[in-house]
Amino acid sequence: MTLPDIETAGLSHRQLNFFLVVDCSGSMAGDKMASLNYALRAALPAMREAAADNPETRVMVRVLRFSTGAAWHVEPTPVEAVEWGDLQADGETHMGAALSLLAGALTPEGMPGRQLPPVVVLVSDGQPTDTFEDGLARLMASPYGRKAIRIAIAIGADADLDVLTRFIGHPEFRPLQAHNAESLVNRIKWATTAPVRSVSTPVTGATPMERLAQEAPAAPPPADAMVW
Amino acid sequence: MAVSQLREGTPFRLRASGLAGTVGALIGAGGQGAAYHASIGGKPFVLKWYHPHVLEADTRLPGRIARAVERGSPDPRFLWPIDLVEVSGREGLGHLMALRPPRFRGLRDLIAAPPARIDPPLVVRARTCLSLAESFLHLHAKGLCYQDINFGAVFIEPSSGEICICDNDNVDVNGAPASVYGTKKFMAPEIVRGERMPDAGTDLYSMAVMFFYVLHAWHPLEGRAEYEVALMDAEEEMRLYGTQPRFMFDPADASNGPVAGFHDAIVRRWRSLSEGVRRLFVQAFTAGLRPGPAGRVIETQWRAALARMADSILACPACGYEHALDAEDADPDPRRFACVACGAEVPLPPRLLLGRDAVVLCQGAQLHAHHLDPARPFVYGEPLARVEAHPADPAVTGLRNLTADTWTSRLPDGTGAAVPPGRTIRLVDGLEVDFGRRRGTVAAGQSPTR
Repeated sequence: MTLPDIETAGLSHRQLNFFLVVDCSGSMAGDKMASLNYALRAALPAMREAAADNPETRVMVRVLRFSTGAAWHVEPTPVEAVEWGDLQADGETHMGAALSLLAGALTPEGMPGRQLPPVVVLVSDGQPTDTFEDGLARLMASPYGRKAIRIAIAIGADADLDVLTRFIGHPEFRPLQAHNAESLVNRIKWATTAPVRSVSTPVTGATPMERLAQEAPAAPPPADAMVW
Repeated sequence: MAVSQLREGTPFRLRASGLAGTVGALIGAGGQGAAYHASIGGKPFVLKWYHPHVLEADTRLPGRIARAVERGSPDPRFLWPIDLVEVSGREGLGHLMALRPPRFRGLRDLIAAPPARIDPPLVVRARTCLSLAESFLHLHAKGLCYQDINFGAVFIEPSSGEICICDNDNVDVNGAPASVYGTKKFMAPEIVRGERMPDAGTDLYSMAVMFFYVLHAWHPLEGRAEYEVALMDAEEEMRLYGTQPRFMFDPADASNGPVAGFHDAIVRRWRSLSEGVRRLFVQAFTAGLRPGPAGRVIETQWRAALARMADSILACPACGYEHALDAEDADPDPRRFACVACGAEVPLPPRLLLGRDAVVLCQGAQLHAHHLDPARPFVYGEPLARVEAHPADPAVTGLRNLTADTWTSRLPDGTGAAVPPGRTIRLVDGLEVDFGRRRGTVAAGQSPTR
C-alpha cells in the first residue's frame, strides 16, 4: 500500500553557495589553464556526490573569472546542473576587481533565502596587478564575506602566498599549493568537496575552519618539482 | 590523503582469525577512512581502512574495535566489525565487516531531492523507528553507547522498513572517554554546549531526533527561530541546537513554532501521528532537552508507542494522506475523523481488538507474531495473516490465514467455522477469532462490512 505521503511543497532546505574565483591571467595560458579546466571538470562529479550526501543542503555553484577585469563565468546554478565551459587565459591579474565583484554577491540580496556560510575558493598563479587591498577590504566588509569559508589554491612557484594567506585570514589555514597537474586535480577536488562534506561529518571539537585545516592535503613537493 | 589509500589486489590479514584476504575496489572515502570491497576465500566483505590522522588523533580506536570484535554484535541489525585488518609492511589499521545488501538505501534518502528521494508509507516509517529502537535497546542493554547516532549510519529497505546500522567504530562501553562529539543537529544540547561528552543518555536524544526526521523529513528544533536565521553560522547553531533549543511543537512555548505557509507539511504530519507518539516527542524535546534520565525517552517507551501507531494507520479515501487512528483531530467517539490534509471525512475502518491493542484492518494490512503470539512481542518478519478482498466481490474483505495452523472463529450468534491455512475469514462485526495463542474480536468500521 504505497500512498502519497510527506509532500514538502513550500519547504526549502538551506543553501550552500560555492564560489570559485579563478585567475585567468596570461600567465595561466597553455598547460596550466588546460590542467585547471580538466581539474574542475573532474571535480564536478565528486562535488555532486558530496552534495548528495547532504540532502538537507542545496549546493549552488558560481564561478568568477578574473584577468583584465573580472566577470561571472557561471551564474548561480544548482550543482547537479553545472556544465563546465572551459576558461580561457589572457591579460592582467585583477584579483582586487574579482574580490570586489565577489563582495557584491556576498550579501543577503545576492544570496536570498536561508543560507549556510558560503565557501569561496580562490585559485591563482601570480601576483595581483591591481589594488588587491581594496578588493579584500570590500570582501571583508560585505555581510557574508567575513563569514565565508575561504580557501586558496596557489598554482606554481610564482603565486603570491602572502596575498592568498591574507585572503584566507585564518592563522592555521595556509594556501594549498599545487605544483603539478596531478596535485592541482587533488587540491581542486579537496577544496570543492571537503567544505560540502563538513556540513554533515562527525564533529571532533575543532571549529569548522580548524577541521578543514587539519584535513587539508599535506605539504606540497618543493617548488622546483613543478612540472607542467 | 592519497598515500593512505590501499591498492586493489593488496593482500591483508585478519588479526584474530589469521585468515588472509585481498583488497578490492574502493567503495568510497569518508571522514574516518575509506571503504573497499574485500574478498576472503572468494566471499565478499567490506574493509574499512582508517586515515592515518584519525588513528593518530583517536588512540583508543584500535582497542575499541578489538573489544567490539571480541564482544560480538548486540543485534544482527548492526554491521558489526568482524575482525581487525592489517596489511604487512604498512602502518595503519582497518576492520572487516559484512557487505550491506544492495536492497538497502541510505536513510538520508528520506530527505533527498527527487529522484533520489524515497517516500515509504507511514507504517514503514513507524516500523523503521521501531526497528531502530530495538537495535539501540540491545546495544544499550549490553552497557554500550553508540556515541554518534545520525542519518549517515543507518540504511533502510524502503518497502519493509528493515534496517541496518553501519559505522560502529565509535561504539564503546558507556562512560568510557568518547572519541567523537557526534554529528551536527543530532548532538544533544549539552554536547553542543561543550558541557558533556556522548553517553547512552545522549544517544537517546540523538535517536529521538532521528525518529522525528524519519516521520517528518525535518528536524524537531527547526521552527520559526531557525526559519528567521538568514545565515546559519556557528553562533546561530550554538543558539538553536545548544543554548536555546526549543521544540517546534512545544505545547508551552510557541516561540519556535511552525511558520504558516512554510512548515505546513510538517504540521500535517505531526497532527496525523498517534497521541502516544506525539506525547513522547514532546517529552524528548522539552524535558529531554536537558541531560538526565527524567526527560530522555527510553527505547521501550518508543517501542510500545510506535508499534501501536503502526497498527493504527489508515489512509484518507479522498487524498490518500495517512493518519494514525488517534490523530490530533480524531473525535474520541471515534466515529468521525477528518483528514488533516484535505478535510474529507475518513470512515473508520474495521479493527481487530487484541486485548488493549487494536489493529486497523485496511486492505493489505498484515498481522505478525507481534500481534498473534504474546511470547514474541515486537517480532514482525513474515506475515501470519493478511486482509484481502473477496476475489468475486471487492467490497467484501476477509482475513487470510498465512500460518500453518487452523484458526477457529465464532460469530456473536454462537455459530463458528474453522479457518484452515490459506483460507480467508470474512470480517464482520463481533467476529471472534482464536489464533491459537491469542484471541481477537473484529469491530466493524463506519461502513460496516457486509
